[in-house]
Amino acid sequence: MTPSPELATANLADLEPGSHLCAFYDTDQQLARIASTFVAWGLAAGDQMLYVAGDGDAATTMLTSLLDHLPGSHALASGQLMVRTFEDTYGGTHDGYLVRIEAGFRAAAEESRKSGYPALRVAAEMGDVATFLGSSDEVLRWERRATAMQRDLGVSSVCQYDLRHIEKGHAASLAAEHTALAPDGDESPMATFLAVGDPWGLRVAGEVDIANRAGLIRAIRSRAAVSPRVHLDLHGLTFADVGTLSGLHALAAALPHDGHLVLRRPPDLLRRILDITGLRHQRLVVEA
Amino acid sequence: MSSTALASHSALFYDTDDQFAETVGTYLGDGVARGERVLAVVPLGKLDRLRDELGPDAKSIDFVDARDGYRPQWNVFRAVLDSLASAPGQRLRVVAEQDLAARTPAEVIDYQRLEAAVNVVFRDHPLTLLCPYDATRLPRELFDISRRTHDSVIDATGQRPNEHFADPSALILGLATVTSPPAGALSLRCDEALDLSSARRFVRDHATRAHLDRDAVDDLVLAVSEILTNALTHGQPPRRLYLYDGGATWVCHVHDSGAGPGDLYAGFAPPALPSDHGYGLWLARQLCDAVDMGADVTGTHVRLHTRHQR
Repeated sequence: MTPSPELATANLADLEPGSHLCAFYDTDQQLARIASTFVAWGLAAGDQMLYVAGDGDAATTMLTSLLDHLPGSHALASGQLMVRTFEDTYGGTHDGYLVRIEAGFRAAAEESRKSGYPALRVAAEMGDVATFLGSSDEVLRWERRATAMQRDLGVSSVCQYDLRHIEKGHAASLAAEHTALAPDGDESPMATFLAVGDPWGLRVAGEVDIANRAGLIRAIRSRAAVSPRVHLDLHGLTFADVGTLSGLHALAAALPHDGHLVLRRPPDLLRRILDITGLRHQRLVVEA
Repeated sequence: MSSTALASHSALFYDTDDQFAETVGTYLGDGVARGERVLAVVPLGKLDRLRDELGPDAKSIDFVDARDGYRPQWNVFRAVLDSLASAPGQRLRVVAEQDLAARTPAEVIDYQRLEAAVNVVFRDHPLTLLCPYDATRLPRELFDISRRTHDSVIDATGQRPNEHFADPSALILGLATVTSPPAGALSLRCDEALDLSSARRFVRDHATRAHLDRDAVDDLVLAVSEILTNALTHGQPPRRLYLYDGGATWVCHVHDSGAGPGDLYAGFAPPALPSDHGYGLWLARQLCDAVDMGADVTGTHVRLHTRHQR
């Protein structure tokens, strides 16, 4: 169901940071699909993901679903994926709510960057938000404010609305306060760049080429900004092109002198590209 | 004992194995005596006789079996460039010969490009290169190209300038080929970055079905991906990948509607300094048995050839 047919569906493979997406569902299965797709693409890009569930039961249900779909257990353990209730995230009191929510958003975005993630993405169940904010009009006010704030902070989100709980005709007004619809499918990313705490770095799996190599470089840069000694576990890397290697080379060359970029468990293909191009650097360490 | 003189590229046309061993042996021994680094890429069958001829000098020479050194043919450029880079300024003396009778037609054409490209790629390097040719079994077109790509000729009487030497750019331009893919070739449109992954799968599936060697398939998948990336980055739509059997080789043919790189020497050598671009064609030449490229009003055509049997 598309309450706002003129709103385009976002391409999660190439999501502009700060995108404020929305989604409408009328079954729990549909919510699970929308949520796990959004979370999977965010984790794959190396971003930190905050899932805000309506209440404790919803959080448990969603957690189970996310763990089924994704490299979720690893992401939960590393802190790349957080699942919280609406109340835990935004607090129980209604006084000064907009300021409070906005301050919470800003703090979370800053914390993400400090923890070595390129950006924060939030998926929120909006079920109780009208009750929380007092009225449907307040929800619209909040959404309008969120679009500008998220663009400013580079935080992308999807606001997931339950059509069974919103007033008739209100869905189109809500949709109009967002930049695009979140897709309701499970096309999977061609590569994932998951955060790893020890050794500090990323676990890279899948194929990397001109379509997604900028995302890999962005994720490594965010890790290197916290600590310049970065390890990439490449065991699951099935393809990388020469542009990927030259990107890694340039990144390693630009690290401070005490930094390095370690390629752990590189596939044969990467060694072949290294031999042929001679793109070696003292700070680009290729493990045996 | 290093020399600042520029590269020299000589040919030897021999009739007998003895003549080969004596002339090449003297040439290599001369390099050892001058304190040069010496590399010999020769067919396995000629190695023992050559070592005998050289005696103790053989210990100072790096010998490479031509089957490895020329697989694919442009690997010999990498071996020479790597060798030059490992001792900057020191003169490198190289003898390089392979069994040309074992080459497919596409490789023979590419070998002609290679001989012409030597004169450009290594022009400013301290390289002394000799290409011995077995005159008794040399096909006409290779005799012609070898006469036109070597600045001097060596024989029993010594070394003399080659009056037939021709401009390498003109030769390379003349060897550029534009061939349309045959009717009935398998094909895949490739105009978006996200098409590359399916193009790689397409190549892998069909190359495997064509019973190409497994390592050759891995190399080919990488090479095609690079050439398609070039087409996406520099070329014009529509861009299409064609796969077909070209007789002695299996062909991946990348077509785009742009004017091509313009640089005749694109991909004959890697970028001199680390770069974020400029490796695609070099990589393809290092990975595939032969690569040819040409552009005309129909656009740019790059063909990657893989031998059915390696």
